[in-house]
Amino acid sequence: MPIIYLILLILPAVLIFAAPLRAKVWTAVGIVGAVAVAVCVAAIGVLVEGTPLTLWQGASVAFGVEAITMDRLSALFSIIISLAAVATTIYSRGYLAHYLDKKPATHFSLHYTSLVVLYVSMIGVVTAVGGFCFLFCWEMMTIASFLLIIFDADKRKTVRAALSYLVMMHIGFAALLAGFALLYARTGEATFAALSGYMSAYAPLPLFALFVVGFGMKAGMFPMHSWLPEAHPAAPSHVSSIMSGVMIKTGIYGIIRVAFALPVEFAGSAVMMPAGAIVLALGIVTGLWGIILAALQNDIKRLLAYSSMENIGIILIGVGAALIGKSNGNDTLALCGMAGALLHTINHSFFKSMLFFGAGNIYAQTHSTSCDTFGGLAKSMPVTAILFLLATVAICALPPLNGFVSEFTIYFGLLDGISGGSEVLSSACGLIGLALIGGLAVLTFSKLFGTVFLGAPRTHEVVEASEADTFSLGACAIPAAGILVVGLCPVPVFRLVAKVAAPFVPMSERGLEWFNAHSMSEAMQGVMLTAWLLVAIVVALYLLKRRAQRDRSVRMGATWGCGFTQPTPRMQYTGESFSEGLQSIASSLTKDTGKGEAVDKNEIFPSVHEFEVKHRDKVSRLMNEWWTALLAQINRRVMRLRTGNISRYVSYALLFMLIVAVLSILNLI
Amino acid sequence: MKELFNTILMIAIALLLGGVITRVRSVLSGRRGPSIVQHLHNVALLARKGSVYSPTTSILFRVAPAVYMGSALLALLFIPIGNLDPLLSFRGDVVVFAYLLGLGRLSLVLAAMDTGSSFEGMGASREALYGALVEPALFAVVATLAMVCGYTSFADIFSVARDLDMQMTIVMVLLAYVLVKVYTVEQGRVPVDDPRTHLELTMIHEVMVLDYSGIDMAMIHCANWFKGAALAVLAANAVMLPLCFKWWTVAPLSLLVAVIVGVVESSQARGKLVRNTTYILTVSALAALLLFVAYLLTLNIQIS
Repeated sequence: MPIIYLILLILPAVLIFAAPLRAKVWTAVGIVGAVAVAVCVAAIGVLVEGTPLTLWQGASVAFGVEAITMDRLSALFSIIISLAAVATTIYSRGYLAHYLDKKPATHFSLHYTSLVVLYVSMIGVVTAVGGFCFLFCWEMMTIASFLLIIFDADKRKTVRAALSYLVMMHIGFAALLAGFALLYARTGEATFAALSGYMSAYAPLPLFALFVVGFGMKAGMFPMHSWLPEAHPAAPSHVSSIMSGVMIKTGIYGIIRVAFALPVEFAGSAVMMPAGAIVLALGIVTGLWGIILAALQNDIKRLLAYSSMENIGIILIGVGAALIGKSNGNDTLALCGMAGALLHTINHSFFKSMLFFGAGNIYAQTHSTSCDTFGGLAKSMPVTAILFLLATVAICALPPLNGFVSEFTIYFGLLDGISGGSEVLSSACGLIGLALIGGLAVLTFSKLFGTVFLGAPRTHEVVEASEADTFSLGACAIPAAGILVVGLCPVPVFRLVAKVAAPFVPMSERGLEWFNAHSMSEAMQGVMLTAWLLVAIVVALYLLKRRAQRDRSVRMGATWGCGFTQPTPRMQYTGESFSEGLQSIASSLTKDTGKGEAVDKNEIFPSVHEFEVKHRDKVSRLMNEWWTALLAQINRRVMRLRTGNISRYVSYALLFMLIVAVLSILNLI
Repeated sequence: MKELFNTILMIAIALLLGGVITRVRSVLSGRRGPSIVQHLHNVALLARKGSVYSPTTSILFRVAPAVYMGSALLALLFIPIGNLDPLLSFRGDVVVFAYLLGLGRLSLVLAAMDTGSSFEGMGASREALYGALVEPALFAVVATLAMVCGYTSFADIFSVARDLDMQMTIVMVLLAYVLVKVYTVEQGRVPVDDPRTHLELTMIHEVMVLDYSGIDMAMIHCANWFKGAALAVLAANAVMLPLCFKWWTVAPLSLLVAVIVGVVESSQARGKLVRNTTYILTVSALAALLLFVAYLLTLNIQIS
């Protein structure tokens, strides 16, 4: 069995290492593409037919049965992962072209090998039935992504972020390992299928908590998110894109697998309901924390990283709602929550990939990711700007694009919970939380797009920037197509996702068919109609306006300076000032540090000042600093033994031998 | 036929609301005031004028008014007046309504950022923040209505008069109160903002559209009226729901919203800008409280 793993690891590595420098990327694209086609064909077959497909089954190394099986959920995740991986690999051609002369060839070989391994291991994670196979793939995924992050290892910040990522992932891994070990010890099997057996025989919530910690760490769930805003800005853009777009979703995948194995009741007390409430609450907190912190960031990639956290929150709200609905027998809430969560997982992988690609294009041209150094990029990089705008509207969940479809599905479930009168309070909490998250997302992304792409250029790098290369833009075609297809034709996509979601939320009375035919289908058609109507009305209004303007004077004139005659681009509203209003109410969530010297009020003619404000996340500071403080303390204690006195060391050795002697006399060793 | 009548009536209300506010303000300050349709003349004049665009702006600036007006118009089509049926309706359309308003907001905010003016950026940032904070209020109101009536589309919620007891009727009136507050925030009226001036006092909505002229400005005005009418009619619907729920009771009542706004504007000054976030959060909290109280009432728990 391990031989297969080794072949999987070594074959791409050999091919990529052997390829000439400029062909390495195409070798990687070839391997990823070939695997992706095979995986997608298998996955589509599974989605259509519905019967799980066992690709491989083998003897175990540890932890019982092992197999690679693709059911509908795995198939859905496999397709998302494959699409994102292909787009990412193609994108890396353009992004890494700038580094070709600067770095040795082995770096590229290692990078591309890691990319292929990351892809293959992610597919492994979502198709493994559990146990050793799953944990092996999980660990491979972590290591591959670690190697990808440290591509720019010359920067100290990158190494630090990557190490913090590695450490946190292994804390999560320890939790997963403990979870699977516990499962194996009690049931003799460590697969996801064995979970429901375990959970109806032993207290389920402790095991559930263990898995939530393990998977939540990967997903960036509050308060375990502190690696996200560090790792994403440090990694190359295509790596952030695949990590944020799909890798963190493997955490969601795990949570779904575990959460829906929970029994409704255990030993007379409700289990699924509190678990659902916990997931819902975690979702609301994660979403709000993510979006508020995102709104305060002034670094494009850091902002996008926090927004990934927000989207994980939205997905968790869906999962929590589904659990609550299932426990109370509310079909609509359960199915809509689950389908909405899955749909949002798909959608987020599209628009977040695209946003990170956009950020990468900008970085490749201007070597900066700080919002306030840009302005007016839409003029020098029009295609990137249009793609970025598309993703911006989609991530704000506004009609007529895909983000709206998935949020609408979750809202639909929550509203049904409220109007049905069965789960009013929990649904209402989810609804109001989601509404606030949605509103703040508009604030965050209008700030991002507005300060980066609109207005007048603030620095000369922006003026000199030119459009990104064909590969970087071409790679965006995959996510762009996804955004438009899901947004404008939501009905078939929803049907497909509902099919995937249905086995997790057994319909109590009326089957999925009834559900599709009556309530949701009609609403989805309504959404589709609204989307097309909106496009039609807007286009019509714009054309009418153009027509009306044809026989009126249309002049160009400078932006009105409010009576000020010499406005400069530096006077534009910056990202920092844009979120100042929110900052004033959310100041208790962050620790703000200012670097530099502010302009003194008494200076009549101010000289040049540099001032930088950073909003640090209080929770992640707390987590990180607490750990480091603890480690430093342990270290200090241990260091007391190391005195540098040779006689001391000799006495340690003697003491050790003495202990060994005593223990062996007592027959203890 | 009923649907078409509903839409026409809705647009008529939209066009009238602004005039009523101005007239009420004039009468209360002892003037005769302009004609009740003066603002329509103004907008017609704007539509006939030429436009000036800043060279800083991109195509987005020119498309934004169309998006703003299109989304507001589409949002309007979901709202029924009393027992009339709206043109568009499906389960869950309350969410579509709110997010269409969100799309309009995003387009104007981005257009304001496109001009590169610090002043417009200021307005944009405020509009985005206040819009985000008032969103929960709108959703809580809608959720309360959905819970009380058991439906999730405006057409079903406001289809027939509901038999509600005294306490629930009070809740309905309070919901209308919250909706009027949402109206003042969304429209940037006193005490959140004072739309009468340019520059000195007006800090939010009008600031964002400073660089628009001609037909673009006319479109933005129309879109504003549509948005306002949708919220005003919702408020009137909520009040009338347990009473005499007919279109001819709701339509005049929605004009009363304009009267209330006019009275508030003549008797009050704009609040301090830094207090706005607190004000809007209070509105949202009140809406959430109403949802909770309505839930307790449906559970038949006596609140003494």
